[in-house]
Amino acid sequence: MKTPWQIMTKGDWLIVLMLLGIALVGIAWLAVAPTGTRVIVTSGGETCFVADLDRPTSIDLDGPLGKTHLVIDEQGAYVTGSPCPRKICIAMGPAKRAGDLLACVPNRIMVRIEGPAGEDAPYDLLSR
Amino acid sequence: MSWNRPLIIGLIVLLLALGWLRTNSADTEQVRRSQLMMGTIVEIVASGKSSGQLEAAIDDAFAEMARLDRVLSRYHQDSDITRLSQSDKGGRVAPETAEVIAIGLDVAERSHGAFDLTLGRLKVLWNFDDENPVVPEQAAIARAMAGTGPRAVELDGLNLIKRSPQLMVDLAGVAKGYIVDRAIGVLKKHAITDAAVNAGGDMYLLGQHPEHPWRIGIQHPRQQGGILATVQVRDRAVVTSGDYERFFEQDGQRYHHIFDPQTGLPARGCQSATVITDSVALGDALATAIFVLGPQKGLELLADYPGAEGLIVAADGSLHPSPGWDAYQDTP
Repeated sequence: MKTPWQIMTKGDWLIVLMLLGIALVGIAWLAVAPTGTRVIVTSGGETCFVADLDRPTSIDLDGPLGKTHLVIDEQGAYVTGSPCPRKICIAMGPAKRAGDLLACVPNRIMVRIEGPAGEDAPYDLLSR
Repeated sequence: MSWNRPLIIGLIVLLLALGWLRTNSADTEQVRRSQLMMGTIVEIVASGKSSGQLEAAIDDAFAEMARLDRVLSRYHQDSDITRLSQSDKGGRVAPETAEVIAIGLDVAERSHGAFDLTLGRLKVLWNFDDENPVVPEQAAIARAMAGTGPRAVELDGLNLIKRSPQLMVDLAGVAKGYIVDRAIGVLKKHAITDAAVNAGGDMYLLGQHPEHPWRIGIQHPRQQGGILATVQVRDRAVVTSGDYERFFEQDGQRYHHIFDPQTGLPARGCQSATVITDSVALGDALATAIFVLGPQKGLELLADYPGAEGLIVAADGSLHPSPGWDAYQDTP
């Protein structure tokens, strides 16, 4: 008696190969899909600037105290100039992974990194 | 037609369906929102089946936090704390204010004054909010310290009694944590089981992250962006006090915002103290007290609180974990 594999027709094999090909292409597409990590900036609670994290740029962001200067480059998104008294926002350094937050509290500017966190992210939140 | 064809094709379709389900991992929604309040970034992350339910819960949690901030902050002119500081003898306070003061007084007592709710005048004197803070003169520090200490105030029900008219109550070391705890309470009332509320690094982790237990990075006190340790927690508060966020340097010396109530000067025993406990309010007060006490006495204090664990970085950079810390630590 023939096993099921022995009685498969060429058409059967063609369908099987096509389906496997589709599955492999789908898996590959998911693996290399762009991460889409973005920098979202709010001023006084309203979104005022959105940019891709992988596209270098810089901008002056208006707040009640004046302009907060934000830079986006290979280090991430970070503040280089601020009218606030203590410059804690500058000292916070770059935000670069999804979920990272920066803020200039006196100037009401908040910077948030949005995108897929990924299983390889070392942590979900930072205690400091 | 071969009899096995539908079987083989069916198996492949099943395989693809399983793959699709895996990549679209269930129907769990996650909502992440942040606001500036209490002088810091407050972030709420919640997961569940319905984004509408999550949004409503987070709205209510933020509203409760804003309400409590108006009651408990010395930066609000109509807060209980401002009113108490302006009165000669104290007065009646809101139940929430009394609860925060009770937590603070308990830690103050058990830490032998290392945690102190009565340093309001000292904090105003040092003025870390100023563009160019300077070290105050010793005489001014002595005046700001006069009449402070755990026995300088007494709580009788909802009445706070001040022993000294000029005393300024400051709940900064515990109120933020209490407000986070209350936000978690609001989320629970909305039947949210997996969430995190994070106020500038003081946080409570409810349930778990959608895909794994909550993983919390602990900031390295001397490496910007560096991680000292990572812990895995569920239904626990994680709080860190450190000398690296608010400080200035004068004559080569670092002056930070966590004061030793014995001297009126920045405490010198630690670089940071992280506490894991069951409430953020308690963790907030304990982390401050431990930072002031230093590693040895700090660990002794922690041992007084069952279930509380901690990791202390001493002034020389050495690490001092509590006996049960390893149960939480994910990576060295």
